[in-house]
Amino acid sequence: MVDQHTPPKWSRYKYPESLYKHGTLLIVLLFLGYSLHFLNVDIPLLLGALGGLVGVVGDRYYPPDVAYVLDRGYLAAILDTLQMSFLGGFAGVCLAIPLAWFSAWNVSPNRRVFFPIGRLGVISCRAIHETIWTILFVSVLGFGMLAGVSALTMFCVGFAGKLFADEIEAIEMGPVEAMRSAGANPFQVFLYAVVPQVRVAFTGIAIYTWDVAFRAATVVGFFGGGGMGWYLKRNVQQLENLRVAAIILSIIAMVLVAEFLSGWLRATVNRAK
Amino acid sequence: MFLTIQNPQGVASQLDLRRKRLTKMTLIWGGIILFIAWCVSGTIIQDTDWSRIGGRNGVLAGISRYFWLDLNLLPELIIPTLETFMMACVGTVLGCFFSLPVAWLGAANVTPSKTILYPLGRFLMVLSRSVHEIVWALIFVSAVGLGALPGILAIAMRSVGFISKITAEAIENIDAKPVEAIRAVGGNQFQVMYYGILPQIYPVVLATVIFEWDINIRRSAVMGLVGAGGLGLLFFRQMNSFNYGGVSMVILAILLLIVLGEVISHYLRKAVI
Repeated sequence: MVDQHTPPKWSRYKYPESLYKHGTLLIVLLFLGYSLHFLNVDIPLLLGALGGLVGVVGDRYYPPDVAYVLDRGYLAAILDTLQMSFLGGFAGVCLAIPLAWFSAWNVSPNRRVFFPIGRLGVISCRAIHETIWTILFVSVLGFGMLAGVSALTMFCVGFAGKLFADEIEAIEMGPVEAMRSAGANPFQVFLYAVVPQVRVAFTGIAIYTWDVAFRAATVVGFFGGGGMGWYLKRNVQQLENLRVAAIILSIIAMVLVAEFLSGWLRATVNRAK
Repeated sequence: MFLTIQNPQGVASQLDLRRKRLTKMTLIWGGIILFIAWCVSGTIIQDTDWSRIGGRNGVLAGISRYFWLDLNLLPELIIPTLETFMMACVGTVLGCFFSLPVAWLGAANVTPSKTILYPLGRFLMVLSRSVHEIVWALIFVSAVGLGALPGILAIAMRSVGFISKITAEAIENIDAKPVEAIRAVGGNQFQVMYYGILPQIYPVVLATVIFEWDINIRRSAVMGLVGAGGLGLLFFRQMNSFNYGGVSMVILAILLLIVLGEVISHYLRKAVI
């Protein structure tokens, strides 16, 4: 006769822990459900959205008008986008380095004055999306690539500034202490104790910033900043869907090229250090 | 003080190396500066209509318009702010669901087919990241119409790339022993997934999702610019009615929301890891 007692029941979380886990999950789910209700989301439409997307793309966006993107004007716009992203990235990195120095807690020249300035500058550049920067700059400077470059600069300050500051905060503090005890001022400390340690990482981050800035530069023109985005806006408003499809494909292709290039450059920099 | 050089050849080779390095750096920086000059002349000098900007006074007048805050807008800000927040939450969760199959396809050790489906998964990740959220929103607005739904879908699609990439990398780096142990005691495929793989990737994935959610708040604030709801729509309307004080109010609301999101995500990530 086999023993009749039931095997011990095993569960991953014990009693009080399981209550917290499932309670949190329940609250999150309730919030999501309420959000869907609040936002007036049509649930069947949401469930059928991906199928609908395939249908719409096949119906309206196929075949893309490739001849349009091989046009001289559009190729010039691609070049403009490239130049804008490069300029914005360069100016942004140049501005981000001092801001990152101010906002790194361990080497900040003055923790009362410069630290909040640096932090606030980087955070406010980061918090506002690049398209909003573009609209603001367009309203002040007028349409054109100057506004686009300025917006990309702000975007890159926010993006690179945070990464730079994180990198500076992770350095070896020995050289910094040595320089300080020898009586160096904060600028000398930065130049001779911090820069040699972060040089390679900064180069990598700068290249990555350019890559991200190029991605942003493709839509800056949509709000009046010049480049490929301007063509996108025009054709979207004229409902030239086949041309829009071709433009989106060209954006994807250019972003892939930029990503490949930045990956290769970063690998080269890492090898050369 | 006398300095005796013990190894003159070594010093000479060191100096030679230094000279070579100097030449290389000079060439690189010269190239960068020439390229920048070309970009500046192409984008800024030739493309800008300087007379329209109107000198320093024009720019200052353009900026100062934004400083008269329109406090009457305050009650109208609450609902769009909530909408933006909810769009970001729902979009992130939906993005997680979309990224599950993509991560499954794109992780080298669990993918069903290495020759066909693995490259497909990788391609989907790159595709999601290389198309800007504004372009995604444009596509979805034309597919499902105006409202919050295209914004949610655009945010979800844009998040897929990052979340699924990190998830796939986490799956590739798991320890195989718990998986084998569960197989050895007779666990089925689902139990292997739930008790063997999930606990190992769970902290990394959750931290990534929280990070992405933080960025998604930023993104959902601009979805209204192309026809999805939230703060972007209010921004667009204030801008088009030339109510610059209202524009500043909307930007302040965005800043507040983003700072809130950053604080929440900071504590959540600490709790997870």
